[in-house]
Amino acid sequence: MIPFNEIIWDLVTWTPFLAGGFAMNILISLVAMLIGTSLGWVIANMRLAPSPRAYRASLYLTEITRNIPTFVFLFYLAFMLPSEFTVPFTATIVGFPSWLKASLALSIAVIGFCSDNLSPAIRQWRKGDHGVALLFIPSWTSYALIIVMASSTASVIGVSELVSRCNTVINATGKTQIMLPVYLYACVFFIGFCYPLNILMKHLKTVIGRRLQAGYRGTPSVSSISGG
Amino acid sequence: MLAVAMLAVVNGQAAAGEQFPPRPMRLIVAAAETSPASTTTPTKAGTGDAAGAALSAAQGAGEGTARRSERLALIKRRGTLLAGIKTDYPPFGTVNENGVPIGFEHDLAEDIARRIGVTLTKVTVSSANRLQKLEEGAIDMVIATQGDTADRRKIATQIEPNYYSSGVTLFVPPDSQLRDWPDVRGQKVCATQGAYFNREMARRYLLDLQMFGNARDAKLAVRDKRCVGYLFDNTALAADVLRPEWAGYKMPLAVSLVTPWSIAIGRGEDNTDFEALVSDAVADWHRTGFLIEREKAWGLQPSKFLQDMRVRWTQKGPDGQFVCRRFADGSITPECRNQIFLSAADASGLRRFGLQFKDLTGIDLTILYDTYDRSAFFSGLLVTLLLTVLCIGGSLAVGILGALAAERRAALLRRATLLVSVCGRMTPPLLQIYLVLVGVGSLLTGLGITLNPLVVVVACLSYYTGSSVMVAMLEAAGVRRRTVPDYRITLRTLREIVPNSSGPVVAALVNVSKATMMGSAVAVPELLSAATSIVAEHGNVGVVMNALLLTFLALIFVVVRVLGKLERKLAREVAQ
Repeated sequence: MIPFNEIIWDLVTWTPFLAGGFAMNILISLVAMLIGTSLGWVIANMRLAPSPRAYRASLYLTEITRNIPTFVFLFYLAFMLPSEFTVPFTATIVGFPSWLKASLALSIAVIGFCSDNLSPAIRQWRKGDHGVALLFIPSWTSYALIIVMASSTASVIGVSELVSRCNTVINATGKTQIMLPVYLYACVFFIGFCYPLNILMKHLKTVIGRRLQAGYRGTPSVSSISGG
Repeated sequence: MLAVAMLAVVNGQAAAGEQFPPRPMRLIVAAAETSPASTTTPTKAGTGDAAGAALSAAQGAGEGTARRSERLALIKRRGTLLAGIKTDYPPFGTVNENGVPIGFEHDLAEDIARRIGVTLTKVTVSSANRLQKLEEGAIDMVIATQGDTADRRKIATQIEPNYYSSGVTLFVPPDSQLRDWPDVRGQKVCATQGAYFNREMARRYLLDLQMFGNARDAKLAVRDKRCVGYLFDNTALAADVLRPEWAGYKMPLAVSLVTPWSIAIGRGEDNTDFEALVSDAVADWHRTGFLIEREKAWGLQPSKFLQDMRVRWTQKGPDGQFVCRRFADGSITPECRNQIFLSAADASGLRRFGLQFKDLTGIDLTILYDTYDRSAFFSGLLVTLLLTVLCIGGSLAVGILGALAAERRAALLRRATLLVSVCGRMTPPLLQIYLVLVGVGSLLTGLGITLNPLVVVVACLSYYTGSSVMVAMLEAAGVRRRTVPDYRITLRTLREIVPNSSGPVVAALVNVSKATMMGSAVAVPELLSAATSIVAEHGNVGVVMNALLLTFLALIFVVVRVLGKLERKLAREVAQ
């Protein structure tokens, strides 16, 4: 029979290690959101610019970021970018860690999302319709959760995040019977983090929507989330 | 000197043996006793053949136009072959407890002497002085773990076919689970400073190298689990895995950056009867399995190189002749030659063009001109297309079934469906794939069931994406209920929510086609797997990665267009 106590004990022992891996998933996702949102904000503004050239360029850029598959782009960056580089005009060598490459790859998807969702939000904001613009926040957070899911793909280029650490634990203990429990345990991390946040964002959306209905005429248009 | 050399080997410096001052040693060995005891000039074809194979007609033809070698005549007059050979590289060349030089390459040298019909005189050489001694004429031949390279071809006649090969592999602890190079991506790997292959290996396999000053420290770091393995030459490591100190340690990964080894004779000996004799001897060793047998006898791991060569050199054409053979003009069938020395002049058609382009620009388009790479890339593309179609279909099916179940008038079924969908959306698909394939797979192995990775990938991606499809449909149903309060999703009423759900559903389906490459993580032979293995083989990272990205962009473009067209068609039908 499967020794349950032993497996539970193993999982407890490895919990700090696995939690450290999950912290890496969060870090990768946050950095990706940060880079992607900044660049997406620039493109979203271009979409609203009066110049037709800037408008057209912004549409092309958005189209490209939407079509680049992040998983392949992750490999592309891992192979094509150096693992360290010399800072120009100095002798300092700076490492280019693979988790940062993962963040960069994921940020591409975020750029497309922000370009699509920020430009209506900015337009509403400028019109003084601040409430509708605020709906961007729950959408953004829900998208961040999708990026947290996608951050697990960094394991394939050897970033030591949660999924990759599950494989490390399996190899380190050398036990076949721990395989299923350790992956299920990793699922608990993801669901435990994402589910409450998801509920919270749904709630926030409803709250903003209700306020809007109270304060303004008409129903708010809630843009649906896409991504991955 | 011998003691010093052995000490060096014990210190794990086998591959660095050339550091020691080159001091030639002459040792006449008993092996010569078995050869015909005469100094008369025996005809080549009639000499005692160790492997006992009949010489082919092609070999006879080779002698026809070959120049007579002064060197071969000298060897026969002298009655002994002076072979440059190593004694510091076990088990290829070493000494036994009585100080008698022995080894894999010593056996080969003895066979050559036997074929010429003379005795063998072994002269110890090092990597640093072996070709210099040959050039000076101090030895007749070099069999000393020498890699066949373009530079060495300029200073000596390198014999084809090659008789062995070395490359780079990983020395890992007994409990290591590593099976293939992708398993090592991003892992800490120990290496010795200054090894020529470090950079290239890190580039091709994305390794995180930890540098050590010498092999001993690197291997101790492997033992202490400070890295997953030690990156080094597989033939140098061959001696380590045989030592009691490293009992159980192994080299499970395929040898990479393979360099073939060749026997070398004097620079002016090309196209002579001496070259023909040695070349025919090596071809014969491959045909009779002599090399494979000796490899086993010396405790070496079976090498893929020897197995491939055996197959290639024993293959016969429709005319009953060996496909791989030496022709009257001394040339060897081009396909059987060492491919790295084939120039554009030796190739034809697309390959010729590809090689010329490479010489001109440095860009190696193997996926276009190399038959093997091209078909690997193409079949990867087919698998990716199959995955895409299956995942799109699967996601739609899961989404629709989920929506139907959630809309039934059964609270329990509805709640269960929603819970399953939450789990589906909030577990990363890659984790799902591992969970099913490795986790559940480990339980099923006990029952004698093995899961097909492709099926698992399609199932998990369909579950992940299908959950989002379902949510989009349920939301659209909610919108529909604002106008039709008792609306409920059934197979008949499904069409009514198409206008409100098709946008997010199509976005989800485009996303799943982008995610099919996840299959490469569990060795589904799709496009990304094909691309990384081509990179590992040829090192043309830039070309392959750009081709991969462009191909995939084109694929996504097509998927977006096709789904968009279907969406519009469906919308039109619903509107009617």
